[in-house]
Amino acid sequence: MTTVPAAAIPRLQSREDLWRPLRGASRPYIVAVALAALAVAWGLIAWGYQIHQGIGVAGIRRPVMWGFYIVNFVFWIGISHAGTLISAILRLTHAGWRRPVTRVAEAITVFALMIGGLFPLIHLGRVWLFYWLVPYPNERGLWPNFRSPLVWDLTAIFTYLTGSVIYLYLPLIPDLAELSRKTGGWRARLYGLLCLGWTGSDRQWRALERAMKLMAGIILAVAVSVHTVVAWDFAMSLAPTWHSTIFGPYFVVGAIFSGIAALLLVMAIARKALRLESYLQPMHFENLSRLLVLMSLLWFYFTVAENLTVWYGNEPQEMSVFGARVRGPYAPYFWVMVLCNFVVPFVLLGVRRLRSIRTATISAVAVLVGMWLERYLIIVPTLATPRLAAAWGSYSPTWVEISITSATFAAMTLLYLIFAKLFPIIAIWEYHHVSDG
Amino acid sequence: MYLTAEFEETNSTAAAILALKTQGMEAQALDVFSTEPVEFAAGVLDRPSRMSLFAVAGAVALCLLSVGFVYYTQHDLPIITGGMPFFSFWATGVIFYEFALLGAIVVTFLTMLWESGLLRRSGPAPELQPGRIYLRVRCRPEQEAAAAESLDRAGTLRIERTESDS
Repeated sequence: MTTVPAAAIPRLQSREDLWRPLRGASRPYIVAVALAALAVAWGLIAWGYQIHQGIGVAGIRRPVMWGFYIVNFVFWIGISHAGTLISAILRLTHAGWRRPVTRVAEAITVFALMIGGLFPLIHLGRVWLFYWLVPYPNERGLWPNFRSPLVWDLTAIFTYLTGSVIYLYLPLIPDLAELSRKTGGWRARLYGLLCLGWTGSDRQWRALERAMKLMAGIILAVAVSVHTVVAWDFAMSLAPTWHSTIFGPYFVVGAIFSGIAALLLVMAIARKALRLESYLQPMHFENLSRLLVLMSLLWFYFTVAENLTVWYGNEPQEMSVFGARVRGPYAPYFWVMVLCNFVVPFVLLGVRRLRSIRTATISAVAVLVGMWLERYLIIVPTLATPRLAAAWGSYSPTWVEISITSATFAAMTLLYLIFAKLFPIIAIWEYHHVSDG
Repeated sequence: MYLTAEFEETNSTAAAILALKTQGMEAQALDVFSTEPVEFAAGVLDRPSRMSLFAVAGAVALCLLSVGFVYYTQHDLPIITGGMPFFSFWATGVIFYEFALLGAIVVTFLTMLWESGLLRRSGPAPELQPGRIYLRVRCRPEQEAAAAESLDRAGTLRIERTESDS
């Protein structure tokens, strides 16, 4: 992968290039939106069917009471680390190459959190009783249990979503102000409303930059805590292989790993579909590919550390889960996970000669598959193999769970397609702002 | 009244600002407009901020509020717990942590809106051209000639006069 020097694109040219995708809608775009909307509609029908018939239409049975829905919850919360966390790290380290990447990443975070946050509701079955979980002072005879990691989840995800929406919105304001002047009709009204009267004064720029710096620091602390808390949903229980002290960092590493993969995939698609080759350059893929390899090594290290201690300890209940994972009914998934999360990215991106945008995209897809399998392998085998052997069971997802799972991937695509049509996917002002390297 | 001068680059804008300040203009009367952030050396046009302080205050406030909320909620409903404590500080620490960060986030956003002057109108804003820098000077009529001369000397491309905010 060769590094092309950052093109000195004139300001007017960059505006034309980056605003072009906002105009009109090509046939492939309309087809993509229609297909994604159809898949989302099918998922909604499946969810409606589940609400009407009851949670029994899903494959979750005793002892496996957490199935695809919780796998998807953990997976999407992990993907959400693509944006805000990566963008915050790059912003705080003044990585100049981040500029065309940050907004692509930040949007992934917001959409992934919105999708991930839906799964506890879907999993609940009786979704209309959701407010029973909200721990407000009440007289209904319910004792709100603040000591439950599930309530911790609620507060962590709410904080992360609030922070991520603000973190995405703040750097959009200057672009929205320019767009409100350059467009007409409903777009001008929408952008005019959202830009809050931005005039581009130095007071506004300084306040914006200060806020972005502060937010980057705060959001890092939130992002790390969010996935640690998700890990504690498991680690705070005494279930075999879940009660582990490294689950917090293991989940955070996995989340950043899958987040970078999601970012690479979206960048590759946006580059081709929106003709942004001059902005999303091979250099950006090269840098993110290196990060992906680094995270792959870290993930491998954590996976070995986690499994080796279980194997060496030889505790019977833990060994049952370990055996089911590496040589039992879940072994094919386990070894595909190792292939996708370690072998593929390590070979394709670790060997310099093989590194390219195409291999980065292939690796990203492999990692996303591998990380989804990892979430599945953490949750299902442990629940299927509880301490009492007489209670062992199995889990098979039904069409309802598969439909809802597929719909969430379509929802991500749909939300991103709409976002890319409404807002510039690269921050124009940041692209030309050179002072921070 | 307002004078708005257009500049091509940062150094000449900084020179104009320093010249105007030498004449007695206050930083409050000067505003720089651009399509990208313009950074001056320290002392040219400083804008002091309390954003970090407010963020910390917001974090502390919401953290304390959450401690009170959790404490009250757990004691609101009398329940027999078999000797277990109603309120466990450590086990609810994650909630206080998240609320503290939520407080910092929300207050940072609100302070940004306040300090930037967004949602408030403050004088006429120039029509911005990408890459150009605009220096707006709020002055009294008797100061106009001297201010315009300073702007000219600093190398402005053109000066526009506006009588009022409208």
